[in-house]
Amino acid sequence: MNVIEINQLTKYYGKHRGIENVSFSVEEGEIFGFIGPNGAGKSTTIRTLLSLIHPTSGSATIFGKDCIKYGNEIRRDIGYLPSEVFYYEHMKVREVLNYSASFYDNVDYTRIQSLAEVMDLDLNKRIDDLSYGNKKKVGIVQGLLHEPKLIILDEPTGGLDPLMQQKFFELIRTENQKGATVLFSSHILSEVQKLCSRVAIIKDGTIVQVENIRDMQKHNYKKFTLEFKGVIDVHHFNLDGVTNLSVNEDTLHFLFKGDINRIVERLQGQSLLNMLVEEPSLEEIFMHYYQKEEQP
Amino acid sequence: MNVFKKEMKANIKSLIIWCCAQVFIIFAGMMKYQGFSDSQVDVNALFAAFPEEIMVVFGIGSVDITKVAGFYSVFFLYFMLLAAVHATMFGAVVVSKEERDHCADFIYTKPVHRFQVIWPKLLAGIINILIFNVVTFGASVFFIAQHNNGDGLIDKVSLTMLALFILQLFFLALGAMFGAVLKNTKRATAAAAGLVMGFFILSVAVDLYSKLSFLKIFTPFKYFEGASLMINDQLSFSSAAILLIVSLVFFGLTFVAFNRRDLNT
Repeated sequence: MNVIEINQLTKYYGKHRGIENVSFSVEEGEIFGFIGPNGAGKSTTIRTLLSLIHPTSGSATIFGKDCIKYGNEIRRDIGYLPSEVFYYEHMKVREVLNYSASFYDNVDYTRIQSLAEVMDLDLNKRIDDLSYGNKKKVGIVQGLLHEPKLIILDEPTGGLDPLMQQKFFELIRTENQKGATVLFSSHILSEVQKLCSRVAIIKDGTIVQVENIRDMQKHNYKKFTLEFKGVIDVHHFNLDGVTNLSVNEDTLHFLFKGDINRIVERLQGQSLLNMLVEEPSLEEIFMHYYQKEEQP
Repeated sequence: MNVFKKEMKANIKSLIIWCCAQVFIIFAGMMKYQGFSDSQVDVNALFAAFPEEIMVVFGIGSVDITKVAGFYSVFFLYFMLLAAVHATMFGAVVVSKEERDHCADFIYTKPVHRFQVIWPKLLAGIINILIFNVVTFGASVFFIAQHNNGDGLIDKVSLTMLALFILQLFFLALGAMFGAVLKNTKRATAAAAGLVMGFFILSVAVDLYSKLSFLKIFTPFKYFEGASLMINDQLSFSSAAILLIVSLVFFGLTFVAFNRRDLNT
């Protein structure tokens, strides 16, 4: 079953493009990554799903219900962490969290305490005394305290130190194992790589690709580093399936997607000093999506 | 209930300040009355020598201000102005403050309809203006009694406060509508303040130039007259009806506009 189904969703802010014909779906129980550079339309998509903004055209359903029409029902089971966390400044952390909890039925208030302990958050501080990272923690507790079935995270790790990121990922994994579906938006690919099973890549307001991370990494792409003795003939390696081709003195780097034997054929008769074949990081795979196409 | 409580708590300080200011104005004003009545000067003759324009701007029309009811009726203009500023600002801010403080994403992603957030906010507004009104009433009766041999003119003041409350409701609705329609709190409060000022200038202009009296219906400040409330014990039913209907329309528009709104982060 699909928890989120987005169908040709388009949002224009006046004449300014937000997103265009975005379609993808998130299955129950998965951690779905949503990747793209800043301004690509990640937040616009998410804020439409939460009916904070209204789509220009297209539609989206969550738990099988239209996200605008049944927004209030749907949101009962959604936990949301906005990319920029702001709360009522003059309130204490505890007050904000209790206020948040008061909107849900049957909230286990001890959960606030335990989540705060995991995230090392002081409940008695005032919001305006908190650092950015600590505000983010308030956001995390606030998003998880009602044990949502769908967790929507918009750039969740900004401001968190590596240790906290680690704890946060563990928390998300635990929730996921308990059955929660997660939509995880980020522009940092390595964190998506750590957590997600599938990803949608968004660029300039449109979805470029939806892929399974492991398939894409394990079976499709190889990262080659070849150190040559003597002059490198770059064109010799400019095959179909080769991307990110670059030369650094006598070393050649490229990514290859396809039948590995075609590279081996090309290597015959070449004089090599060293050769590395590695799993590429998602950064490297997706770099070409990030780079804006050059204008003709 | 949670939203209502939070708004009441958030506004308690400013409400106390507004009420204190109001009590002080009534106290200071009635002290002046004491001055008039003690001085034995023919105040009506004195004021008759003033240019009419000045009298109009200060709200001192044709009433006999040597009588306590007449003197107090002049206050009504100031009450209206203060109450208008208080209520419009409350309305404009209460509806749009989450967006101003960037916490719209917090409250509007909760499992509630938007109207379920807006109506407790407006209810808090109504309670706030009601408290302001009751404090004005209490202070008025108390200070009038001090200068009127213990008679606080409760009936007359009650009628005046009823008129004031209808105006407060109108201005709350007006402010809320601006808050829901305009892009942000700043614009909403600026537009609301400008309009209150405009209403006031128009009401003065109508008093000054009888040719303009047809414009009376466009300024709420001319819907009730202090003198007719305090001296003739009359509250214009049609004025009350129009203001209440327009208020309802504004409240309705607030809900519709806010529901369609794209919320800013």
